[in-house]
Amino acid sequence: MSTLLEIRGLVKHFGGLNAVDGVDLDVEAGEILSVIGPNGAGKTTLFNVVTGLYPPNGGSIVFDGHHLVGLKPNQVCSLGIARTFQTVRLFPNMTVLENAMVGQHSRTRSGLLGAVLRLPHTRAEEQSVREQARDALAFFGSRLASFREDQPAMALSYANRRRLEIARAMATIPKLILLDEPTAGMNPKETEEMISLVGKLRDERGLTIVVIEHDMRLVKGVSDRVVALDYGRKIADGTFAEVSSDVRVIEAYLGKGAVKAG
Amino acid sequence: MIGSKLLRRAAIAGLIGGIAIIYLALVGMIEKFEARHLIGDWLNLGRLMLALPPLLAAYLATRPRVQAGRVVRLSRGPAITAGLVSGVLAGGLAALWVAFVHLFPDGAVRNIFVAVSPTLLSIMTFGKSLLVGALLLVVVGAVLGALGGAYQTLPERLRRPLSIGLATTFMFALLQRIIPQLLFYLNLDSTWLYSTTFGGLTPIGAVVVFVVATALPALWASRGQMVRQRVAQLPPARRRTLNVSRLLLLAVVLVLLPRLIGSTLSQVLGQIGIYLLMGLGLNIVVGYAGLLDLGYVAFFATGAYLTALFTGAHLVTSLGAVASPDFVLHLNFYAAVPLVILVAAFIGLLIGAPVLRLRGDYLAIVTLGFGEIARVLVASSWLQKFTGGPQGLRDITDAHIGSVGFRDPQPFYYLVLAFCALAIFVSVRLADSRVGRAWSAMREDELAAEAMGISTVRYKLLAFAMGAAVGCLSGTLFAVQIGSLTPDSFTIVVSITALAVVVLGGMGSIRGVVVGTMLLIGLPGLLDEFEEYRLLVYGAALITVMILRPQGLIPNVRRMRELQEEEVAQDQWLKEEAPAVTAAGGGGGS
Repeated sequence: MSTLLEIRGLVKHFGGLNAVDGVDLDVEAGEILSVIGPNGAGKTTLFNVVTGLYPPNGGSIVFDGHHLVGLKPNQVCSLGIARTFQTVRLFPNMTVLENAMVGQHSRTRSGLLGAVLRLPHTRAEEQSVREQARDALAFFGSRLASFREDQPAMALSYANRRRLEIARAMATIPKLILLDEPTAGMNPKETEEMISLVGKLRDERGLTIVVIEHDMRLVKGVSDRVVALDYGRKIADGTFAEVSSDVRVIEAYLGKGAVKAG
Repeated sequence: MIGSKLLRRAAIAGLIGGIAIIYLALVGMIEKFEARHLIGDWLNLGRLMLALPPLLAAYLATRPRVQAGRVVRLSRGPAITAGLVSGVLAGGLAALWVAFVHLFPDGAVRNIFVAVSPTLLSIMTFGKSLLVGALLLVVVGAVLGALGGAYQTLPERLRRPLSIGLATTFMFALLQRIIPQLLFYLNLDSTWLYSTTFGGLTPIGAVVVFVVATALPALWASRGQMVRQRVAQLPPARRRTLNVSRLLLLAVVLVLLPRLIGSTLSQVLGQIGIYLLMGLGLNIVVGYAGLLDLGYVAFFATGAYLTALFTGAHLVTSLGAVASPDFVLHLNFYAAVPLVILVAAFIGLLIGAPVLRLRGDYLAIVTLGFGEIARVLVASSWLQKFTGGPQGLRDITDAHIGSVGFRDPQPFYYLVLAFCALAIFVSVRLADSRVGRAWSAMREDELAAEAMGISTVRYKLLAFAMGAAVGCLSGTLFAVQIGSLTPDSFTIVVSITALAVVVLGGMGSIRGVVVGTMLLIGLPGLLDEFEEYRLLVYGAALITVMILRPQGLIPNVRRMRELQEEEVAQDQWLKEEAPAVTAAGGGGGS
């Protein structure tokens, strides 16, 4: 397997707080990597730096042969990294289908003139955008299909909003998808379903997946590899069994002395 | 028995209603609008203004409330009682004020409030003595309040047609200059509909209009579903024909309109068109892309001055001689327009570039500044050799086809119509495209849009440039229409008016912009007495819309799609566990 994403010595601080403090991380093409860690460990900041939302204070990020540091979020997206947000960030007043169609933006070209004159190639492009968007929605079976396509995103249930966010990210035709707590707020049954979907996302769509997750069922269920962060540093890297029995990981979650006492 | 909360709400609404009456009286609207008869000689706009506050206060005080996730309507008893309270208080406060004014010797109050004339006081006491008049105010207020409360309790299937009927009758009464003209040109008798002595509707005419306007929506409510279904089932080609023929019909009406209504009213149409173009341009910036621009007048001025300089104009030098500006082309109007659009779009980019990082309030403040800068620039001595400074430009070459000029209202209307049609076409096409989606994503969540691959820098600049390109056409038309320009025409009021049009109609909605322009520009144009109170009415209209219907009168479809049943069903538990509403308990009690 080849390395798709290569992070070296990544540093990001906010004032005196080192949110990400010298993280090295390799993501292999085709793997599912879980990032775990207590609240404030720097997981979401890591995502935000990789996707260009924050400029890093140091270190390098190489994705598929491209240096990402200094690129804008939309450029990172065009290179093939899509993401979801911890707090769902859909376009609430646009329909489900439109939300997914926005995902196709970086894969299409037509501009003002095409829009106004509706030239043949613009129409063909619109058609393919619609098809790609429907295809992404179809990944979730009937949950986002048929009549829901025309509903505004704000009318969706909480779990459906999370699904739509993933569909929107899929519609960008990424190589790597970053999922920020995909099961937050879901009930056990929905979590179960999400576990199988994350696996399917890799197996059927050939995506590489990095997922931030607190729900250990999902972490255990889907991960090829698990990385634990604490205070912005990587404290463990390995299989789920290795990481979950790591003393430092347990200490990070439960506090010092927890291992002795437990 | 009504709950104390409802009572308090009704009382507050009533007092606000009373204050509204006093305010309308103090600014002189009631007296001034007394001259505009609506129905026969017993309902005029002044009296309507006296009557609306108690009615609306009661109506709004008894609005259904949301309780525990469920809409709770008042039952008839409490609603009427609460309405009565509102009405009595509104009327009572007005009566108290009239009595208070009577305490002072003649003219004492008038020294401060010019509008408090004997005529006004006589209007407010219904021409009776103080005591009888004050009592009448309270009684009329009470009756109207009770009506307002009762109206709220009518079932939806009655309330909707009734509301449409009332609104239509009101519009017919307001359009008293246009409709008789139309009927006259169509060789139809209008004397039964409009009173020749008073100008407004005749009582019989009002009843006929009201009945028809009420019956039609009621009929549509019962039969419309079927028609809509049948249309939906038509093959796409047939539906297309239907749409095209509807558009054609509209086009025919629009083309014939100035012939039917005559020259004076065509001028009003021209005015509407100019603001419609401005509204459409601003709609792209504010409605589509969500960038609040308070300096839109800059593009109006750009369009106007560029058109003048590109097609030819004169200025007056400081010595009083008429001279050519230092830069002037004598292009054909139709060659100049594309050039104006290009330059305006470029200026849009220039203005957009420095404000890219600003959002919301900050953007509004900076663009407000740009608007003022535009006005100061064209008036400055620095640009005096180009813009004519405070004296402005004159003798602007008229646009013409062959020997037909466009300065007269009726030909000008056709020029306006063509430009508006073009702008609407562009707006519609843009909305439903990759560009439109990118704008609307950016408006809804800038960060998420960027993460989805949309370059916000690019699309913000594009919005500014497109908005400028469409908006500058209004300036072009303005220059053609009046033939001379002075900086006084480009004040901040223009920006505010354009924004009011967009916000009132519904941001992002083209129909909304059309309706907004007709209401805010057309009505004051038809009813001269509005002119003086124009800004006051704009302000009141905007505040009312913001509170009661923030999405605008005709919102963008995207913002009002109906929820499908299944998703609503997830909230079923709310319905089952909602507090039981008893007939007597009302909503306010708990």
